[in-house]
Amino acid sequence: MLEFKGVTKQYGSKTAVNQVSLKLEPGKIYAMLGPNGSGKTTLMKMSVGLVKPNKGEIYYNNQLIGTKSRKEIAYMSTEPYFYNWMTVKDVGKYYEDFFEDYSAKRYENLIQRMELGMDMKTKTLSSGMMAKLKIAVTMARKSKVYLLDEPLNGIDLLARDEIIKSVLEAIDDDVTLVISSHLVDELERVVDSAVFMKEGNLAAAWDVEDLRMQQGKSIVDLYREIYGHGGDMTC
Amino acid sequence: MLMHMKYELRKSMFSKMVILLVTAVSEIAFLAGVFLKNNTALMWGITGLSMCAVVGIFYIGIESLLTFHKDLNTKQSYMLFMTPQTSYTILGAKVLQNALAIFAAGAFFVLIAVLDVVTATIYMDGLQALIDMVQELMKNISVQINIEPQNIIMAVAVTLVSWLMMIATGYLAIVLSATILAGKKLSGFVSFVLYLIINFGALKILDLVPYMKNQTLQGCLVIALSFIITVILYLISGWIMERKLSV
Repeated sequence: MLEFKGVTKQYGSKTAVNQVSLKLEPGKIYAMLGPNGSGKTTLMKMSVGLVKPNKGEIYYNNQLIGTKSRKEIAYMSTEPYFYNWMTVKDVGKYYEDFFEDYSAKRYENLIQRMELGMDMKTKTLSSGMMAKLKIAVTMARKSKVYLLDEPLNGIDLLARDEIIKSVLEAIDDDVTLVISSHLVDELERVVDSAVFMKEGNLAAAWDVEDLRMQQGKSIVDLYREIYGHGGDMTC
Repeated sequence: MLMHMKYELRKSMFSKMVILLVTAVSEIAFLAGVFLKNNTALMWGITGLSMCAVVGIFYIGIESLLTFHKDLNTKQSYMLFMTPQTSYTILGAKVLQNALAIFAAGAFFVLIAVLDVVTATIYMDGLQALIDMVQELMKNISVQINIEPQNIIMAVAVTLVSWLMMIATGYLAIVLSATILAGKKLSGFVSFVLYLIINFGALKILDLVPYMKNQTLQGCLVIALSFIITVILYLISGWIMERKLSV
């Protein structure tokens, strides 16, 4: 389980994440929702130690996150981050060198499925191809937690379904999958829970089924309520 | 750590190939000078090889700082910090790789120098002929040299260890700048200013080594103190990266 306890991150006078407490449980798929600058990315980056919180702690299986947790938490950044000299094959080799849970065979399959070539240079990839590569190499790990930051960015409508399908097929039952996206309606049909971030605060966190049963609302409805004009709902 | 070292080496492979290429061309000029008894080619060869040795080693150090600055201030940092390795390991790999590269480059150029002297000795009717020729060349460019092997070895060792200390100083300056400024545009300039400040402090500490008649002992003390300062700078940098640095 990934647990945030009163986590705050400030950049100068700007508060990116404010006192967020949240539990992400195994075997569940979460949608991390919110507009740009709402704190989604910072929260994900803090989970793998790329960003250090000013206050609060993050625990993975009751232990503070660190080197050990990075062995089991796979993070896919929204920005390209591979070295310029790398080919698609080099990216796979890099992950193979550093992550014990990486499977070269799985990577090959995903690369093939994403219609990429092993000899392609990463610096020449289009944004859509880069997004596919990032998903392929992240999902080639057999991790316990996957944090995918805007995985569908830059990917055309037709390829999105295929990518979501690839991601869902790649995960085991006990895995925690967190997907951040602006494409709320596309996520609604695949996620179990939704976390709504607004201006660095946790605005709401709902189990999709509970939301439907108790409030008679969909994620899209709640999204409109929270972020729509005048939306001031918080949990 | 070895894996990180492998990728650090890969990042700087291009510049090392360029240095090797220029060295090879200079070597060809030197050998052509020796075999064809062509003073011009010999002078170009010696000048080229000397420049490659000095500039090459200098650039290897500088490039490691530039790479580290880029590593901490661009999204490429994720490649390092997403891995299940501590910051000490990541930084240690960089320091070790750079130290090995500097020592390897130093050894490489010393080896080339030795081989060139031997080759020249064989083809130029004995060592005396080569020394005469080099002295003649040196006279032409108004340079006086005084060769004492023990002093040269000590000077090389002091230079290499001091250089390593300065690299560690640079790493700390870059870490501090990246931690405080978090990738803002001024980070390069601030790193440089911090580098000057930390380096000034480190050199002040080295000044504590008193002047000694025994130059070898003094050199050994400078090497030992430089090494200790390097380790301290490394530990401080690692601690900041582990606890405070956001990329």
